[in-house]
Order: sequence, then structure tokens, then C-alpha cells
Amino acid sequence: MSKKTKYIDPADRKTIPERIKDQLAAYRVPGYYEKFDYHWTMVIDLDRCNGCGSCTTACYAENNLPVVGKSEVGIGRHMGWLRLERYVEGEYPDVKVRFLPVMCQHCDSAPCELGCPVYATYHNQDGLNVQVYNRCVGTYTCATYCPYDVRRFNWYTYKWDTPLEQQLSPEVTIREMGIMEKCSFCIQRIRGAKDTAKDDGRRRVKDGEVSPACGQSCPTGAISFGDLNDPKSRVSILAKSKRRYNLLGDLNTRPSVIYLRRVQEPLHASAGHETGMAAAHNTIAEHGSTADTAHAIKDTHGKKTQDGGH
Amino acid sequence: MKRRDFLKYIGAGVVGTGAGLAAAKIASPPGAKLIPYLIPPKDMIPGVATWYASVCRQCGAGCGILVKVLEGRAKKVEGNPLHPVNKGGLCARGQSGLQALYNPDRIVGPMKRSGDRGSGRYTPISWDEALKTVAGKLKGLSDDGNADKLWLVSSSERGHLGKLAEEFMSAYGSKNHIEYDLFQNKNLKYAGGVTVGTEDVPFYDIENTKYLLSFGADFASTWLSPVGLSHGYGQMRQGGGKKSKRGVLVQVEPRMSLTGANADKWVPARPGSEAILALAIAREILAKGYYRGSNAGAWKTLLAPYKLASASKATDVAAETISKIAYDLAKTTPSLVIGGDALSSYKDGISGQVAVNILNHLAGNIGRKGGVLINPERLLKAGKRAILKNQKMTRFIDASLAGNAKALIIDNTNPVFTIPKSSKIMQAIREVSFVVSFATFIDESSAMSDIILPTNTFYEDWGDDFTEPGVGMGVATIMQPAVAPVFKTKSRGDIYIALAKAQGGKLADKFDHGTFNKYLKKSWKKLYNSNKAMANSALTFTDFWNRLLENGGWWPKSTPRTRTRNVSVASVKNYLPKAAAKFEGDKSSYPLNLLVYPSTGMYDGRGANSPWLQEFPDTMTAVVWGSWVEINPKTAEKLKIKEGDTVSVSTPSGSIELPAHIYAAIRPDTIAIPIGQGHTQYGRIAKDRGANPLEILPFIEDKKSGELALNSTRASLSRKGRAKKGSDDSLVRAAANNFEYGRDYTKIISPAEFAKIGKEDV
Ligand code: SF4
Ligand code: SF4
Repeated sequence: MSKKTKYIDPADRKTIPERIKDQLAAYRVPGYYEKFDYHWTMVIDLDRCNGCGSCTTACYAENNLPVVGKSEVGIGRHMGWLRLERYVEGEYPDVKVRFLPVMCQHCDSAPCELGCPVYATYHNQDGLNVQVYNRCVGTYTCATYCPYDVRRFNWYTYKWDTPLEQQLSPEVTIREMGIMEKCSFCIQRIRGAKDTAKDDGRRRVKDGEVSPACGQSCPTGAISFGDLNDPKSRVSILAKSKRRYNLLGDLNTRPSVIYLRRVQEPLHASAGHETGMAAAHNTIAEHGSTADTAHAIKDTHGKKTQDGGH
Repeated sequence: MKRRDFLKYIGAGVVGTGAGLAAAKIASPPGAKLIPYLIPPKDMIPGVATWYASVCRQCGAGCGILVKVLEGRAKKVEGNPLHPVNKGGLCARGQSGLQALYNPDRIVGPMKRSGDRGSGRYTPISWDEALKTVAGKLKGLSDDGNADKLWLVSSSERGHLGKLAEEFMSAYGSKNHIEYDLFQNKNLKYAGGVTVGTEDVPFYDIENTKYLLSFGADFASTWLSPVGLSHGYGQMRQGGGKKSKRGVLVQVEPRMSLTGANADKWVPARPGSEAILALAIAREILAKGYYRGSNAGAWKTLLAPYKLASASKATDVAAETISKIAYDLAKTTPSLVIGGDALSSYKDGISGQVAVNILNHLAGNIGRKGGVLINPERLLKAGKRAILKNQKMTRFIDASLAGNAKALIIDNTNPVFTIPKSSKIMQAIREVSFVVSFATFIDESSAMSDIILPTNTFYEDWGDDFTEPGVGMGVATIMQPAVAPVFKTKSRGDIYIALAKAQGGKLADKFDHGTFNKYLKKSWKKLYNSNKAMANSALTFTDFWNRLLENGGWWPKSTPRTRTRNVSVASVKNYLPKAAAKFEGDKSSYPLNLLVYPSTGMYDGRGANSPWLQEFPDTMTAVVWGSWVEINPKTAEKLKIKEGDTVSVSTPSGSIELPAHIYAAIRPDTIAIPIGQGHTQYGRIAKDRGANPLEILPFIEDKKSGELALNSTRASLSRKGRAKKGSDDSLVRAAANNFEYGRDYTKIISPAEFAKIGKEDV
């Protein structure tokens, strides 16, 4: 094929600022502050999760998380952005255990964002709660405001014994003493996926094309990730599940993480205490999918929680 | 990221000879020069990641991995989404492999011993000198006509490295090659041979089953093929779409494992009685007429002794529970029974695994989708080294104590740490006049050697793995170097070849492979030529090889073929237990059963030198950086032991001290200790941390299968005091407690309610 340069009338030629503007318009949907470009959402199916903890380690590897050592963990300075909680109830032999992976919930009404005096944490056009490290001055305000206890503070500048530092990823900033950090939904991976989409001449990232490190690693497929703005995405389908709930939903923080209830016989149900199951039946009938759980005693507020999609 | 995009990335990396190309050009150590690449290697663009497909060797499962490499350094490992075993997932140990690669305590070059054996004191020497010394010793031995006094104890290798080592030993003139790892599922394999006629581990199709009965198989953390089986578990629970019914899990074990924590019902049977329980369930299936197969009469007679009432008493499981399990197992199609380490690590553990297969047969699960799928013969036949009776460590110990071991090669395995002290393994090694280790770290075993030849990790090496268990079809996974060796280390295969070369004569002629890489490729060409499906998958061998490196291995496209096998009465009748398993130590001085188990992070101890895994809150207890003993709250109260107290655990074989953790989900007559800590070597991160429970176990190796009976002793417990808060001996947990305080963090829905709403269509 002969290479012929297309003639462009000088009148139609655009200045560089104009071109940047065009590109930005192509990249961000105008009015994104009302409806995000993407609404990145994570759905965690607690009935799939078997508590293997692979997700927590994957996060360490992906995001350059420091290891703090035994005594520091002992005083609550574990740096994991994603922690696996385990809850145990009952007495031998009737013991129930439940697991709960908890990371930053990327709330749309994020309490942490209100407190920061220097706007180091804010909401971006994708609905992510982001942390700007070089803006952070370490007031610790956000961490005290966060009801999920997912923000992690760098009490020291942590070191890696050589050659462990060779593993550190150049795609993620290494934090220093005095900086607050937390789960970013692996923003570097999201950026990567957007770049790939752009290079391929696509406007949008396809469903399933991007997953944070935790979801990528999860053996059971418990963690799904995608765009809630896309009605056909996996998370959109899962978000409609009758099992959905938000962690501490009654705080109305409007999290971007949705949990799906684990299927489990309530404690003592087998011993003839039918109350639990009856209660579950009632609450689901009364409040629809967002209703409270099978534990009758706990379901006292009787209000509809505010996690019903947005 | 979608599969196709992954492929694109990998594809970019395998122009020509793949990683070898990059590997050859990277200066070692990487990053030593200010401008490392004036002319960068072909497959390297600064800032753009290259992904190499390879295999994880952090445990025996053999998951396929993709290693993300930027500027010659490995940054991240992810599961290979194309790989049929793990399907993109990875476990915590798999994720942490990079900390073995870049571990600060790796051996940086060859060394010779300068202190006592076991002291870990060494002086560096050159590769030339090291290889010359070892080759010289071997030559001397065979010149004296003592070739058969050379012993090789290696990790179990199902690929061509194992074959090469076997060829080396037989060409040298020694039959003494033992493949040893702590967890090799030997009883499981042996029972397979007895019942279904193959010692190859079958594929357990958890994904498609509707009722899973597990006897102590902790597949959520470490058993068999944790990632693959956990994938199946997730699918069994919520996969398969709207119409698919949710599968049920029942877990039988005295201490609730991670898998048990996910079960719909946890059955804490008395330790050692599980095989009886299984057979009582089997008898119930026959008695109630649920069995649909042939020979019902003969089965009935065979299982007559396992009566409901007596079994209920022996196992401490209610008769109704036994009947209910029998009903559910037989009436749910398909159902599946699996038996794990806890079941098979009693004395006579084979009987438990045989009982599991009897159950699978009676419920009609063998060869059925959602049941037990017999794997086809392996693509690379297992050699003599894989025969169970050749793998017994007593062979070496006895021979050495009788003066029949003059030289010993320890290749990438750590028997000194994982075999109970009472085995006299230390004395046996001390008796050997020349010991050489092929090792990555100075661990308890390599510290016993006179010369250490440092080896590549699996991120720096060529190799392959013929996964066991397959997935109902054969799976071959390739290992290729993702990065150049970080230190002056060599490929294990190259070491064997170099040693053979140096022997001269016929041995040298046989080993004219050049490098292990060439040997591997040549062997694969043979496989390709002899395997129709492989040959049909690509035009030329070069194409095939490149595709192998891109995809991370080779496996048929087809779905698993189901092969039915019948278990016959005659085959099993000599393997039925007469009574519950026996334990060391009398009940009055040692009132508690001691259970040891591989922890999620440490596995058989190899995870202990990874900072990530040390700081990884244990999945069930949230303990970090140390050991603990799990005690039932009632038992602890009786003994006046509180959470975090230092206690002494004693057995007839010894005692250790470690902190107590009060654990609600364990039988009051049982205590449990995780395996993996308590290293006396193995680098700064692992050393002198916690206690090793294997030290206080009796050494009982099954005569038939060679499996170690780890759970065959009783123990006693006494309070010693309390370690200073936050100190190395204290108990530190990453979670304050296990209560929800009524805040309802983890909401549930009962199975009955769930049946009304069903699964999501994704
Ligand atoms: S990796 Fe998946 S299954 Fe494992 S703990 Fe995390 S969410 Fe649960
Ligand atoms: S189960 Fe984990 S350690 Fe074992 S091979 Fe797979 S990823 Fe590696």
C-alpha cells in the first residue's frame, strides 16, 4: 500500500491544548461528578470464600506492603490493606466460624474524606476513594473517621533486607514514615486496563478485563470486580442478589464493596431453636434484599438499610 | 485481564528461545550497573512487564503460574488462567515464592564446611573447586567398588529432573535414590493401588459434587492440590448457574481445620476412630438397602462388624448422625468422599484411605462426574524412584547406621527438620563420611553437609512437572527461567550432568546432554513424537515447544473421560481396621491426643523464611510470627491455662514449650500444634522462632506405604508461665478477638431460605 498523508485543511487543524481537551473529553465522561465514568465495584461472595488468605498475601506482593514484625503487630500496626477476619461463636461441639475479607470499602459518602485538612484523600472520577501520598501530612484524622478500620499508618520508614527490595513493584509508590495508606482497589491495574483499552481503540474497559490482585489470586472465585455502570457486568448481576448486604450498612457510607451472605445454619438451629430461621424468613420478607440477617436478636432497628444500589 | 491479553504478553516474551534469551544477557546480579542495558535484550522494554509462564514449586500441587518481570526482576506471581489445575488462582504460599527468590539468606555461592556438622559455619569456595571435590569423592567411592554406598535423598520430582537424577544414580551404580517430602500422600496412593488398581492419585471432582464428605482433608489450606480443589469448592457452593443446586460439605475431624470451618456440619469424631466411622457409614448404606451395585451380600458380610451402636460408642458420634450421613451420601447424586492427612496419619493409616474408597464405591462415585475420576496414565511414566517402598527413609537410616552409606547427596529436601528426632536421622547422617547438599538455603539438612552446591530457585531454572493429581486428564507444566540467577547458583540438572561428566568413562558418555535445558528439550521432543495428541496440536516441534512456553504447559483440550472401576470385596478385606488406631503413651500420664498439622502459611516448614508468610495471620487463629498449641476452653480451664500462657507439651519422645491458644473447635481430649516453625537454621527470618512439634513425635513409618504416622502419640500439658508481651516467645495475634459484639458483620442466610432464592446466573 502506498503511504499517502491525508490532507487536513489548516482551518481544521487543532492546537495542542484543544487536542488535549478532546482527549480528556474522550477519556472522562462530562458530568462524571454526578455519575462516575466507571463505578468500580467489588462483590465478595462469603459463601464461596473459604478463608484461605491468598488474597491478603497477593495484596502484599502487588502493593509493596511493608512487614512490621512481631512486636509491632502486637500493638496493632499490621500493615495489611486487606485483612481476613474470622468470627467464632458457640461452644464445642456446636461451633460456627465465619470469614470476612475486609479492605477499604471505597464509600461514596466516605467519612474519611470529610476529615482530611489537606485533601489527601478524595473521590476520583471513577468513584474510587484515593489517597495522595505526597499530599498526606499524617494527621491520622481519616483513620479515626473510618468505621471499617482499614487505613494503615506508616509509623516508620520500613526497610527490606537486600535483595528483597528487588521484588518491589515500580508501579506502586513506596511510602515513608508519617504517611497514611490503604487499599486502592489496585488503581495501577485499573489504569493499566484503561490504557490497554485506549491502545486498542476502545472507549471502555471490558468486563472481566481488570481485577485487583486479591480477586485475581482468589482460588474460589469469591471476589468479583467490575463496573456497576455496566448493567451486564458480573458485579451488576451479583449486586442484585438477594444475599447482598453492605458492611455496617446502617451507617449509610454507601460502600463500593458488596458482600453476599454466607449460607449457614444459624447457631443452635440444629438443637431445636427455631427462632433463628423464622426470624430470617420474616426479615427477608419484610425488608427485601437489604434486610438484616438470620439472627433475630440482632435485627432490632427494623429500618431499611441504605445500601440498596445507586 | 482476559486470557487473550495475557497470551499476548507471554507471547511477546517467547520470541526465539524465550526466557533463555533474556537470561543470557542479564548482568548478574541485575541492576549492578548504572545503565544496565545499552542494547536491551529483545524481550525487555523498560516499564513494560513481560510475563513468563512456569510452575509453582512451593508445594507438590504444581499449579501453573505467570511471573511478571520488569527490567529483569520478578515482581509478582499470578496463577496461570489457562492452567487446568489452578485456573488462575494461587495460594498464599504460591504468592510468597518471590521471597524465596529474593531471600536475604540465600546461599550466594558454593561453600565448604568450616565448623562442626550442623553448626551452619561455611567458607566460600569456587564452583570449580566445589564440583571437583564432589566429583572426586564420588569417583573415589566407585573406584573402591562402593558405588552402591552412595545415597541420594531428593525432593519428589515428577518431571525430567527426577528422571535425570534416577538415570544418574543407576548409571553410577547405586539403587539408593529416595524421594522424600513430608507430605507425599503415600497412604492415599497405596490405598488407591489396593482398591482401584492404580497408585496415581485420582481427581476429586468437587466442583460438580452435591455432597462432599471429607475425613480430615484440609484442602482449603494445604491438602493435595489446595488451589484446584478450592476452585472446585467455590463452584460447588455458588457456581454452575441458576439451576445448579448448592453442594453440601460435611467434615469429620477432631480439630476443626480451615476446611472444617467452612463445612455445613463438623463431626468431631474421636481421633483414630475415623476409619471405623467410615465403615459404619458403609454398613448403614448396605443395611438400609441404598447400595445399587453388585455383590451386596458379600459387602454386607464383610462390613457386619461395624455396627451402628458399637461404632457410635467407639467414634463418639451419635448413631443418628451416622445414619443421616449414610442416607445423604447414598441418596445425593453425585456425592464424593475424600480422606486427608488427618485420616491417614494414624498408625495403619492405609485402612482409613481404603475405607474412604469403599464408601465411594458403595455410593457409586467412582468414575462419575462429581465423584472420583481415575486419571489416565501419566504422560511421563513415573520411574522406580516413585515406587512407594523405595521412598522409605528407614532404608537410608538403617543402611547408614549399619555402615552402608559412605556418601550422601541431599537434594532440595529437608528431612532433618521434618522427620521426628526419634528416627535417629541425625546419627544416620553423621555416620556418612561425605555429605553434599544441593540447596538454596542453609536449612537443618544442608547444615549437615560438607559441601553445599547452591541451586537455582524455580524462578531461575528450567524444568517441568507432570502434575499429580491430574484433572481427569494428564497435565504437563513447563518451568522456564523468568529471571537470571540472582546469585552464583546453578541448575540442579546441570549439577547432575557436571558430576556425571567428571566421572569419565561410560557414565560421562551417557550424560553428553550438554546442559539440562538441552536434555529437557530433547526429552520433550521424544514425548512429542510418541504422543499423538501432542503431535496433532502443532505443526513442528519448534512450534509445539514455543507454544508450550507460551501456555505454560500442555494438556489435552478434551474434557475428562470417565473410567469406572469397581472396588472388590477381596481386594479390601485385609485392610479393614479391627479397632480404632493405637497411640503411644499411656492414658494416665499422657491424657491428651496430639494432632500436628501443616499450617496454611508454613506448610512443611518451607514457608518459615518468608517475611510475608511469617506476618500472614494464620487463617484459623490469626497468630503471627510463631507457634502455638490449640486447647479446648474446658481443658484449658481445668489445667488453669490462659490464652498466651507458655505451656509445656510432653510426649514419650520429648517435650517442647510454646504459647497456648484457646481454640473453641477442638475436642477436649485433643490438642493440636501446627508444623512449620521451630527452625534451628534456615536464615534470620525462620531461625529460633517457635517450636517444632515433629521433634516430639515417635518415628513410625508405615511398613507398606512408607507414610509417617504423625498423629500417633498422646501428650500431656502443663503451664510454665508467661512470656513477656510482644517478645519472641509470646503469642501475638493480628486480631484482637473473634467476636462480633452483636454488630453483625458476617450476615448469613439459612440453607432453607437459600433454597428459595437459589444461585445467581453468572
Ligand atoms: S482468596 Fe478468596 S477464598 Fe481465600 S480468603 Fe480471600 S476471598 Fe476468601
Ligand atoms: S497450592 Fe499453592 S504452593 Fe502449592 S503449587 Fe499451588 S500455588 Fe504453589
